Amino acid sequence: MAAALSSEDFTNLQLLLKAPSKDAVRDVCVQSHGALNRRLTENTAATFSIPAAQAAQLVQSLHSLSHHVLFHNLTSPDQILAVFPESFHSNLKNLITKILLENSPAWRTEALSHQVSLPQLKELDWRVDLVTGSDSVSRMAVPTCLVQLKMEDPCPSAGGEPVSTVTVELSRESLDTILDGLGRIRDQLAVVAGK
Amino acid sequence: MQLHFAKDVLPDSVGTDFQNLNKFNEQTDRFMQQLTEFAGEHGLSAGPLRNLMKSVLLVPQGALKKNLTTEQVKEDLLTLGVLRAAVLFLCVLQWGQHYAALSRLAVGQTLMVNQLVDMEWKFGVTVGTSEIQKVGNIFLQLKLVVRKGNSTENVFMELTLPQFYNFLHEMERAKATESRRLDCFETYCFHFLKSSLF
Repeated sequence: MAAALSSEDFTNLQLLLKAPSKDAVRDVCVQSHGALNRRLTENTAATFSIPAAQAAQLVQSLHSLSHHVLFHNLTSPDQILAVFPESFHSNLKNLITKILLENSPAWRTEALSHQVSLPQLKELDWRVDLVTGSDSVSRMAVPTCLVQLKMEDPCPSAGGEPVSTVTVELSRESLDTILDGLGRIRDQLAVVAGK
Repeated sequence: MQLHFAKDVLPDSVGTDFQNLNKFNEQTDRFMQQLTEFAGEHGLSAGPLRNLMKSVLLVPQGALKKNLTTEQVKEDLLTLGVLRAAVLFLCVLQWGQHYAALSRLAVGQTLMVNQLVDMEWKFGVTVGTSEIQKVGNIFLQLKLVVRKGNSTENVFMELTLPQFYNFLHEMERAKATESRRLDCFETYCFHFLKSSLF
């Protein structure tokens, strides 16, 4: 969630001035974007030679900043620079902006692929059979279609399986009806796309 | 007596086989109800009349199973001793006319595994998420209703636009495969299978 940025956050960000190198700044920015954990805080405290409490506040503020940029889709340097207060260290501001711009596209793609969603269709396989006999009719030639759908749930519930498979059998009429329905969806999509 | 629709000689009292009748559940139940009403209206006892009709129904059931022609059904009924007029009526007029519909009914009773019963869909645009304020992606959500035994199960899924077009493309390919005439190889396999089984 994108929390609002406060002046405290920018105070915490100034702790980055204690970084041993630009790469260290880059690493902590990137790692702070994901879920925050104790190990990250400890590593940051060690790398920057700062107390653990300050390290925790630093990663939290970096997390807020990167998510703010992502949420509001700030894609130009000016847009990101405008977020910082006037008094903020100029070189550090430029460095952070550069790092955020570099990583934003990847973060955006990741956020979109992990957004709240129904199980997503990942794979579709089908097979057409010719039923030549059954217990009700000994001789027949009835085509039937088997479709296997593999779905992946991006946010599975605890203990739930992310990947599920469903196999359905379609009669000729069902297949026609499905195609009819899908055709209508396609037409409607074309209308929406045309607007 | 030699019958087309049953290899074995029929027992003297033609037994009732409820398993066979279950194939025509609805029609049989309705028919039996009408029969009971008919018996009531005309002062007949329903029991013997019902048993009688159950025996009679064995003929069309067996005939459907064996894909009999009108001629064969006619011969069987005559062998069983049904009056000539009734045979003519049943076979020439009724059997020939209704064979197609009855066949479809029998085929419709054929086992289907996880049959797709219904498909519902909706599509729209994702405006924003908790992570990204403005998105603008099109999504399609499908609900498939699948019959599992006596109950149905709902399967929900979401597709992106490329996935939808792929789905449509695959279904069209399946349809094309289903529709095309059997080529030589398949015809050969079909005949081979038929001759080895029957």
